[in-house]
Amino acid sequence: MSNNLKLITAPLRKANPVTVLILGICSALAVTAKLKPAIVMALSVTVVTALSNLVISLLRKGIPAKIRIIVQLIVVATLVILVDQLLKAFMYDVSKQLSVFVGLIITNCIVMGRLEAFAMAHKPWESFLDGIGNGLGYGSILVIVAFVRELFGSGTLLGYQVIPQGLYDFGYVNNGLMILPPMALIIIGIIIWLQKPEEEK
Amino acid sequence: MSDRYIFRYIIILVAIVSVLLSAAAMWLQPYQKRNELNEQRINILKAAGITDVDNKNAEQLFKQHCTDKHEGDMPYYVIDGSITVIPMRGNGLWGPIWGYIGLSEDHKTVVSAVFDHKSETPGLGAEITTDNYRNQYNGKPLDQKVDAIAGATRTSKGVEEMIERTLKLYLPYFENEQ
Repeated sequence: MSNNLKLITAPLRKANPVTVLILGICSALAVTAKLKPAIVMALSVTVVTALSNLVISLLRKGIPAKIRIIVQLIVVATLVILVDQLLKAFMYDVSKQLSVFVGLIITNCIVMGRLEAFAMAHKPWESFLDGIGNGLGYGSILVIVAFVRELFGSGTLLGYQVIPQGLYDFGYVNNGLMILPPMALIIIGIIIWLQKPEEEK
Repeated sequence: MSDRYIFRYIIILVAIVSVLLSAAAMWLQPYQKRNELNEQRINILKAAGITDVDNKNAEQLFKQHCTDKHEGDMPYYVIDGSITVIPMRGNGLWGPIWGYIGLSEDHKTVVSAVFDHKSETPGLGAEITTDNYRNQYNGKPLDQKVDAIAGATRTSKGVEEMIERTLKLYLPYFENEQ
C-alpha cells in the first residue's frame, strides 16, 4: 500500500515531471496566464496520462514490440481527441482559451514518457496510479505558475478581482510582463531553484 | 511475433478506435454546434450593446432581441428594431481577424463592436478582444478614430481597415434600400 501511495506522491516533488525531469514545459508556458485554463489543462493531462497508462498496461503483454510506439500513439491520440471533444461540447469557453494545447497533449513528453518507462512494465492498477501522480505533479506546477501570473498580471484569481481598487488608486499597476510567456519560464526557474536544495539533502 | 500477428493486431486496434471516436463525435456534435451558434449570438448581442449575456441565456436573449435577420451575400442583423449589426472579416498581423459592428438607426454612430482573432500576439494584438479595446467604439461617430494598441500597430490598422472596407460596402446598400 505504501508503495502504491509513493507512486502518487513521488511525482509531486522528488520526481516532478516539470521541475525535476523538465518535461512538458511548452504547455506550462502557454496555458498559465490565467488560473482556470491551467486547472482544466492539469485535469485533462491527468486524465490522459492515467487512462493511457491503464490501457497500455492492460495491453502490454500483447503489444508487438516492433510497433509499440505506434500503439501507444494511437491510444494517447484517441484519449486526447475524446477530451478535446468533451471540452468543446461542455466547456466551450475554456476549450477556446486552451485552443491547440489540448490537441498537443498527444506530444506531451510526460504522457509518452510514462508509457515507455512505466506502463509497459507494470500492472494496470500501479500504472493508473503512476499516471495520476504524474498528471498531478505536472498540474501542481501549472496551478502555482498560473496563480502567480494571474494575481500579478491581471489582479484577479479565477476571474474574480482580488487586488482591491484602493490599491490601484494609490498607483498600483498590473504587471503586463506576467501575461507574456517568458515570465512563466522565469517562475518555473524560481520553483526549480527553491526545490533544488531540498532535493540534495 | 509474426508479421501476420502485427497486422492483425493493428487492424483490430484501429477498427475499435475508429468506432469509438465516431460514436463520440455523433453524440457530442449537437452540443458543439449549439456552442458555436451561441458564441455567434453572444457576439451579435454584444455588438448591439447588450453585454449581460452568456452561453446559458444567449439563445433566449437572441430570440427576444433580434427582430430581423438578413442572410445571403450581405448578411446583417437588426436588434431591437433599430440597431444594425454587421459581420466583418479582415487581416491582422499573423492571421485573420473578424468581428461584428453595431450601428445606430441612422447609421451614423457605432453602438458597440466585438473583435476576435486567430493568431495575434497575446498581450499585444490579441488585446483587440478585450473590453477595454472594444469599449472605445461605444457611441463613437463613424468618422472618429480610436486609439491604436501600443505595440500592435499592424493589428490595430487591420481592424481599422476591416471596419472601413465593410462599411464602404454596406452603407450605400442601406441607403438604396430606404
